[in-house]
Amino acid sequence: MANPLLAGTPGETHLLLGNEAIVRGAVEAGIQFVSCYPGTPSSEVPDTFFRLSPDGSYTFEYSVNEKVAIEVAGGATLAGAMSMATMKHVGVNVAADPLLTLAYTGSPGGFMLLSADDPGCHSSQNEQDNRIYARIANLPCLEPATAQECKDMARAALTISRELGTPALLRTTTRVNHLRGPVVLAEPTVLPKPAGFQKNPARFVPIPAFARPMHLRLLGIMDKLRALAEQSPFNTVSGKGTVGVVASGISRAYLADALAETGLEGKVKVLELGFSHPLPENLVAGFLDGLKTLLVLEELEPVLETEIRALAQKRGLTLTILGKAPGPMPRFGEFDAAMVAVALREVTGVAEPKADCACQAPQAAPLPNRPPNLCAGCPHRATYLAVRKVFGDSAVYSSDIGCYTLGILPPLKAADFLVCMGSSISAGSGVSKVSGQTVVGFIGDSTFFHSGMTGLVNARFNRHDILVVILDNRTTAMTGHQPNPGVDKTSLGDNPVRIDIEQVVRGIGVEQIRKVNPLNLKATLKAIEELKDLKGVRVLIAEEPCPLFARRALGQKRTQVAYVAADCAEAARDGSCGDCLNTLACPAFRLDAAGKMAIDPLLCSGCMLCLQLCKNIKAHKGDSK
Amino acid sequence: MSLRLRIFMTGVGGQGTLTATTLLARAALAAGLPVTSGEIHGMAQRGGVVESTLLINCKSPKIGPGEADILLGFEPLETLRALPYLKPGGLVLSSAESLPPLSVATGKEQCPELEEIKKRVTAACGRARFLPCRSLGIEAGAVQSGNIALLGALCAMDVLPFGKDVIAGAIRATMKPKVAEVNLKALDLGAACQAA
Repeated sequence: MANPLLAGTPGETHLLLGNEAIVRGAVEAGIQFVSCYPGTPSSEVPDTFFRLSPDGSYTFEYSVNEKVAIEVAGGATLAGAMSMATMKHVGVNVAADPLLTLAYTGSPGGFMLLSADDPGCHSSQNEQDNRIYARIANLPCLEPATAQECKDMARAALTISRELGTPALLRTTTRVNHLRGPVVLAEPTVLPKPAGFQKNPARFVPIPAFARPMHLRLLGIMDKLRALAEQSPFNTVSGKGTVGVVASGISRAYLADALAETGLEGKVKVLELGFSHPLPENLVAGFLDGLKTLLVLEELEPVLETEIRALAQKRGLTLTILGKAPGPMPRFGEFDAAMVAVALREVTGVAEPKADCACQAPQAAPLPNRPPNLCAGCPHRATYLAVRKVFGDSAVYSSDIGCYTLGILPPLKAADFLVCMGSSISAGSGVSKVSGQTVVGFIGDSTFFHSGMTGLVNARFNRHDILVVILDNRTTAMTGHQPNPGVDKTSLGDNPVRIDIEQVVRGIGVEQIRKVNPLNLKATLKAIEELKDLKGVRVLIAEEPCPLFARRALGQKRTQVAYVAADCAEAARDGSCGDCLNTLACPAFRLDAAGKMAIDPLLCSGCMLCLQLCKNIKAHKGDSK
Repeated sequence: MSLRLRIFMTGVGGQGTLTATTLLARAALAAGLPVTSGEIHGMAQRGGVVESTLLINCKSPKIGPGEADILLGFEPLETLRALPYLKPGGLVLSSAESLPPLSVATGKEQCPELEEIKKRVTAACGRARFLPCRSLGIEAGAVQSGNIALLGALCAMDVLPFGKDVIAGAIRATMKPKVAEVNLKALDLGAACQAA
């Protein structure tokens, strides 16, 4: 059956994930080129494009990092293709350089950046607000709140970008990317083949003499965009009264529910800004006229609040503007409907309703936590165990971004600090340089290609002293097994151009290299011991596929499972017990009803690491899983 | 104004919490209701907690503390952990079969006994029902279908604005025939278990 995202009939309603709706919106706009670097909460957008690519009329690529993704898509739009790039919020930092200059050169074919922000840090290292990029890069910014808007705004952003020849920003947040709702499909646009690159150096080469007029051109486009925002169907006014609320993004959904909850529907004036940058100043000033108090609802930074405050000053309006500073809304984390209801009651003076009953919402009890963990059979656990056996707490462990960051948990404790994608090698180099401390840096295969290679070149060039452990599990595991340049296989078939990490490391000039299968504990320990005794840049490549990926994509089946053959309680008493329960923390381990060490045969992946730690653990044939 | 309904779902990665959520959302849409559902994933495959929401006649995909009309717990410890999301007098439907966290399985921490969990949950809400979801799933033909049994029990409690037949329709429309058969059986087993 053809996928409705590509072949759905206009007028049909489908239940779509926000990220799927973005794909459909791009298809309806006539998308021709898509690049990305995966990252939660954006990943389902590129993954859906990838899965549908055999049937789609677009070209798709997983780029090696976000900067490259915008550059490739930038080239595509310069050659006339309707293009987009997708990434999570912190990825835009990596890509900021090409993004800001692409705004100068313009995007003749159309270009949309999807920035998926993560208020609340559900799966990120910070909660930066990327609407600010729309301001420094001079991009139109659209902020959907529903699945339908994800589709409609993706389409609109691409269409506006192509019409004005300027890049556009679609800014989402985790809740929007990962909500599901009904979406009514529309007729896709069919675009002509890309016209090809049209030579015009004054337009496309930002040497200083050309960059200055390019900046002026961009400022002129901002005026046109502002005029579009004034008329945009995504910006709506409703209600009446002397109290007003301006809301953007997912805050609009919380506002709608809070108005219904408080009975204030229609009793306050509401301006919803879906097309929020550049600020439609006339629309906003007209809305402010006659208001005594304004509440601005936007998660994270007071971006609109500040702009509206400036506008009020410019237009001589003297109303009270509340948001974050001053105001009841926090500058961190997510909002919800209840929080907005409290703020609405505060600004309108409507009293809290009496509770229907005297009962209280239940309180949380202190309970054992259930943190995510490295899976049973994860090769990273084996590498961490070996490194810890050799270095213990004597080394500083410089970590990076991937599943392997979960090594932070005891008993492995293999993450002492972390900055960003690709930082383990370079930041680790800095620590050892100034302190003389022993540093072990961990980095995954995809992260190595993303921005670890440059750190390794730097470490070699500046003669740093660091042991780099490349945790090569043959896929991009954390974000959902996306391909990277080193993989053998993807979900769509073989990778014919596999780039060999060992050759890359050798090409950089590192000579002290060992390559092991980390599930072979003895060989791994020997390699680490050897590298420990050396100085300078040393690289251990620990290569073994992610067991989930091996099962799903490589078709590997486990042949054996581990079981506890002897009474470990007895072994602990006579001193022959290696205490694998405490050193390995494999999720397949447990204490049975009698309090004895046991291995769950359903959870065991058959990696056989624990057999190498304890003579009381043995293997037998497992059923195929 | 139309009735607003908020359902909070919680479980452990790999249990199929998100599958159950999407199925319920499809059923609501098929019944012509304005539905929004939300989910938080990313760490789901690594044995962590998976939470999701389903809201009818609401715009928000999120449920705040004290807002949920119904709490569906696919694992009893997670049911207890999610209790603060339940509104006073709300309804709880939970699996009675636990999947202990690693720290508990390896004897590092203690988890409340099932009877204690039941006591605390019942004290905090209007109505609470506990079902042997895993066992019902296995009886239906696949342990993963245990969450569908919980949906069956929910239907039998007559609190949804649509019936079991609508969920059955969503199962048939979205799953392969063999998988659908197992899940339809689980749906019936759950409903029968609640009715008993």
